[in-house]
Amino acid sequence: MNTRFSLQRRSFLRSSSALIALPSLESLGFRRFASAAKPVAAPKRFVFLGMGFGVTADTWYPDQKTAGRDYLLPEGLQPLARHKDDLTIVQNLANQYNNEAHWGSTFWLTGANRYAEPGQSFHNTISADQVAAETLGKETRFSSVQLGTTGKENSGHGPGLSLSWNRQGKPMAGLNTPVAAFHRLFSDDSTPLEQRQAALRKQHSILDTVLEDARSAKRGLSKADTDKLDEYFQSIREIETRLSKEEEWLEVPKKKPCKDVKMPEKGVNGVEELKVMYDLMVAAMQVDASRVFTYRQPLETVIKSMGATITAHNMSHYGEGDRKEVSKQRDQKQSELFAHFIDRLKATPDGEGTSLFDNTTLTLGTNIHSIHYLTNCPTVVTGGGSGIQHGRHFVMEPKTPLCNLWLSLLNGSGIPTESHGDSTGQIDELFG
Amino acid sequence: MRFCLFSVFFVLLAAFAGAEERALVPEAHFAMFEKYCLECHDGSTEKGGVDLEDLSFDISTVESAERWQKVLNVMNSGEMPPEDEPQLTDGEKTVFLDDLSHQMVVARELLSDTGGVITMRRLNRREYENTVFDLLGVRVDAGELPDDSNSGGFDTTGASLFFSSDQFEQYLKLANRALDAAFVFGKKPKMVSMHHESEKDANKKIRRISAKLKKDYDQAQAWRATEGAKEPKDFGFLDESDVRFYERIHNQKYKTFEDYLNRPESQSGVLLSSFFDGATVDSIRIPNNWPAGEYILSVRTATLPGAQSHETFLEYGMIENGARTGELSLLGCRKVTGTLENPQTLKIPVEVTKDGGRVFGLRQRQHNNRDAVRQEFLRSLNQTGLGPPPALWIDSVSVEGPNIEKWPLRGVSKLFFDGMWWTHEDEDAYARKIISRFANRAFRIRKPSEAFLEKLYSLYLDNKASGMKFQEAIRDPLAVVMTSPGFLYLIEPIPGEQKRELTDEEFAVRLAYFLWSAPPDHELRVASRSGAFKKPATLAKVVERMLNDPRSDEFIASFTHQWLHMERLDFFQFDSLKYPEFDYSAKESARQEVFQTMRSILEENRPLFDLLKADYVVVNDVLADYYDLPPVAGSEFQKVSLPLDSPRGGLLGMAAIHAMGSDGNHTSVVERGAWVMRKLLHDPPPPAPANVPQLSRVQGKLLTPRMQLDAHMEEAQCAQCHRKIDPIGHGLENFDAAGKWRDELLLTKVVRKKVRQKKKVTVDASGQLPDGSKYDDYFGLRDQVAKKQDAFSRSFAESLISYALGRPYGFSDESLRERMIKRANAKDGEMREFIVALIQSKAFRTKK
Repeated sequence: MNTRFSLQRRSFLRSSSALIALPSLESLGFRRFASAAKPVAAPKRFVFLGMGFGVTADTWYPDQKTAGRDYLLPEGLQPLARHKDDLTIVQNLANQYNNEAHWGSTFWLTGANRYAEPGQSFHNTISADQVAAETLGKETRFSSVQLGTTGKENSGHGPGLSLSWNRQGKPMAGLNTPVAAFHRLFSDDSTPLEQRQAALRKQHSILDTVLEDARSAKRGLSKADTDKLDEYFQSIREIETRLSKEEEWLEVPKKKPCKDVKMPEKGVNGVEELKVMYDLMVAAMQVDASRVFTYRQPLETVIKSMGATITAHNMSHYGEGDRKEVSKQRDQKQSELFAHFIDRLKATPDGEGTSLFDNTTLTLGTNIHSIHYLTNCPTVVTGGGSGIQHGRHFVMEPKTPLCNLWLSLLNGSGIPTESHGDSTGQIDELFG
Repeated sequence: MRFCLFSVFFVLLAAFAGAEERALVPEAHFAMFEKYCLECHDGSTEKGGVDLEDLSFDISTVESAERWQKVLNVMNSGEMPPEDEPQLTDGEKTVFLDDLSHQMVVARELLSDTGGVITMRRLNRREYENTVFDLLGVRVDAGELPDDSNSGGFDTTGASLFFSSDQFEQYLKLANRALDAAFVFGKKPKMVSMHHESEKDANKKIRRISAKLKKDYDQAQAWRATEGAKEPKDFGFLDESDVRFYERIHNQKYKTFEDYLNRPESQSGVLLSSFFDGATVDSIRIPNNWPAGEYILSVRTATLPGAQSHETFLEYGMIENGARTGELSLLGCRKVTGTLENPQTLKIPVEVTKDGGRVFGLRQRQHNNRDAVRQEFLRSLNQTGLGPPPALWIDSVSVEGPNIEKWPLRGVSKLFFDGMWWTHEDEDAYARKIISRFANRAFRIRKPSEAFLEKLYSLYLDNKASGMKFQEAIRDPLAVVMTSPGFLYLIEPIPGEQKRELTDEEFAVRLAYFLWSAPPDHELRVASRSGAFKKPATLAKVVERMLNDPRSDEFIASFTHQWLHMERLDFFQFDSLKYPEFDYSAKESARQEVFQTMRSILEENRPLFDLLKADYVVVNDVLADYYDLPPVAGSEFQKVSLPLDSPRGGLLGMAAIHAMGSDGNHTSVVERGAWVMRKLLHDPPPPAPANVPQLSRVQGKLLTPRMQLDAHMEEAQCAQCHRKIDPIGHGLENFDAAGKWRDELLLTKVVRKKVRQKKKVTVDASGQLPDGSKYDDYFGLRDQVAKKQDAFSRSFAESLISYALGRPYGFSDESLRERMIKRANAKDGEMREFIVALIQSKAFRTKK
């Protein structure tokens, strides 16, 4: 069977009426089910988890004198102990341009200089996940999935709609509740195929119609306005790409999550919300709905749900005393949930004899170290996706660009990238 | 170094010549620089690859700003000078950091100055909702669209209003929803009504629960009576802890229920009591088959003897699906004055929409939070053995409606401008006309192209061909119009990048979105055609009408909310035990007070400076009660004179402003001080610097805020800003976190969530402003601030320019700002004059 073209896959499915016999991984690029074909390597995946405000400095970071394998996990990372051999902790990474002490997410994956554009008070560039999605997203229903949280809370993320910024440096919207994420990822359209085909046709003519107006609106616009309207054109292009993907996928029902992920309850928040989102990501990876995930995490509601009565910002300015206790509890809870997420990924098979964990690169971190410090951003990397030799603690030169890590992870996952943000080169030590 | 000196010399000359604004690090710091930095960082040594010798003290490029930022960062973090090198004195460091951080702010502003370029604007969420309402006569909830707020700017800033593919789909969905709601055909619905005797359901429910509590408890006692001879299982319990559970809930709940049923008032109506599980809500369900529209709830109600004044308000709202017991999506609050002998009937209008909720609830005013109600219940139970005594009683509720003035509805009659389609012989031809007319209306100025109209029409035809009825087939093309750039963007083309004066039509649109956040109405369009904008006098008349129109509430609320950074009011939940009166109704009234004061100043042509100090407040019944003023009648805001010694009057006397300067529990001296500097004194402190060492010496000790914050003065990095910020915050310490006056403050030391130590101290509000003006107490502070009229004018004018023009305020706007202030000052600082001057300015008439 020729597996190069998606349409042929569909005809295969049709001819053998094998809709139900789809493998657990439904991606077009990943075809273990073709018995005659050689098993194809499982796809690489990325997960970026942005924590917002920083961690408790003296109980989260391992002792800088203990670089290498023999380091102790401090209190804040202790719940991750069972995964220690699979963790990489990198210290002293920073984004040199970020001076915004409350912006933990805006430039975290981009390394951009807010003031790089004269005449503009804000500028950003593409985030590492979107670089990855340009390659890894080609073969899945969703090129990338951005998760976030609702509410006007102040959790130390800074401007943006999610962790992700597109090629043009514009913010990308996120799915901000577990319910919205569930629907987008798993809900099946129950309307009959013909109606859905008709609906797609209609969507095409709707796009065609608005483009007609967009083209005439463009006449006579200033340069700045043309750039603005380009966002509109860009959006329409993205939807067209999505629609053509949908056409390819029209007869492939959305895979349902494995049985222990149910439709999330409406209104869950705090710790529960983090858990549910992690579960949804596992399920989404399992059915290969996407290979690139970012999650801009709640914090204010997380500490509230743990019984704290102070704000997240207040917590981040801990001194000695109760605020610090809250901050420490938050670190531990964060690590505990992350450890559980890793458990789930390890327990979920993916390809021949490998697990989702083996093929995924996960990073937990934020642009804020602790309090108002922006140097030494907390960074934990895990998962086998980019070939890092885990189990080690790296203490880099102070102010090593965080983008060097993103660059290394991208290249390590088979996405050839020359530079990213303000990167100065790969961190080769990670791999050997 | 020569180069730097030369450039500064040049700049100083330029400054004398009145040249444009620059970001200059003062010459006074050269010596310091030479002494502490250049030893290692000169052109020949370049330690760490850093050469500061050629760094210009005039920060005029992105590159030099980056290098100065690094100097600022390493000095703030204490990295430089290195420990083993000579250190700056605290005085030197404080002044240098102060100057540099301020000049960095100036440099960033200079470098990001758009030079007056106005980037095309997408309708923000508010404008979108209002524009849809104008077109279709229905309100959609645009809350699902991405948040338009951007850091520091206004939600009208075109450059910050993005567009994404998700948004496109959301717009399409919202348009369809709006059209569905607007498409109401057929005959005018008849008025319907129903009557609800409140006690019927309530008593039945309470009787049922309390009987069950008693039964389980009796059963538990029956088992206890066997003294171990029998198993809990024999009495229907799982085990002994199950028995204890039923005993406990009986002890917590039963007596209060019994007391409720024993009260004679509960036999004729419902008592709005609080129980363990939440507040009592009298709920009314509007049947699903009743049409959308306005309904009137007539509530026969009374206060109960012994009620405290802040409790004698009836809150009403929607009961959302899945809401916890007693919690409402609140819509309003009404004072109750009737008595059991002589109950009153409150008439409360509520809006029922097609897809919105239909269950309304009435509740005694309190914190809108079940946990808070439970805490209060338990506190009362401990003290009296019963839950808190109810303050209100409802006899019955009647519902009548819908009140529909015009039929067909406005949206329908505007869309189907020539009657219903079934009266037309050729409905397709009529459809074509409807689409074209709608598109023209939706696009405001620009004419939709023929090709676009043609494509819209084919959408309709395709739909018809697929078997849809007329009213279904026409929906898609209309929704597409509302998703097109012509509708979503305020488009002002300038062919060839030539800046130009707006046409009168465009001017009308800009004006309407400034003052109404909505498209121009018929009258404004007529005015635009009559040349009314050409003469200052007639234009002033137009502006006057617009400001007097209720649609300008949108400007007042949205502008003020963003100008004064009022989003902080929603950041925190207020501690209900500590601030029982600062509940949802108080907080919303406090928010409204700010807006209503603005409205009153505009309407009465009062000076802007009334916001700094005034001998009156604009309050409603809730707030008059909260401020301990003589009662005012009704939930409408009204102007009330204050006694001479009142701390109220002006922004600094408003509960909302103080609540914003707190975290819901404690006051924040720093937050309040910084706010006064930013908003009132026009002297914004630079953004909180990164990497400044944290002060932890004073944590966990029993100190006054003043003693705690004095630690700021010990480190130059902190002192540079806090020596100005903190004294102002201390001057406001007479207001607690919820804005109530206090003479003393209670210091507590909390360890592991328990209060270990307590102490009362008298508030010391003395201090000085950054310019050295001293004050002994809050009243002195307010007087000093009230003197800074020019500074406050600048703060107001700059924000107004930014909001109205849809771009950040830039240095190039300085002359505009000064002209606005001059004109206002000629009229004793009238707030209205600022607005009129801005609208009459060239900038407001120009697209570039």
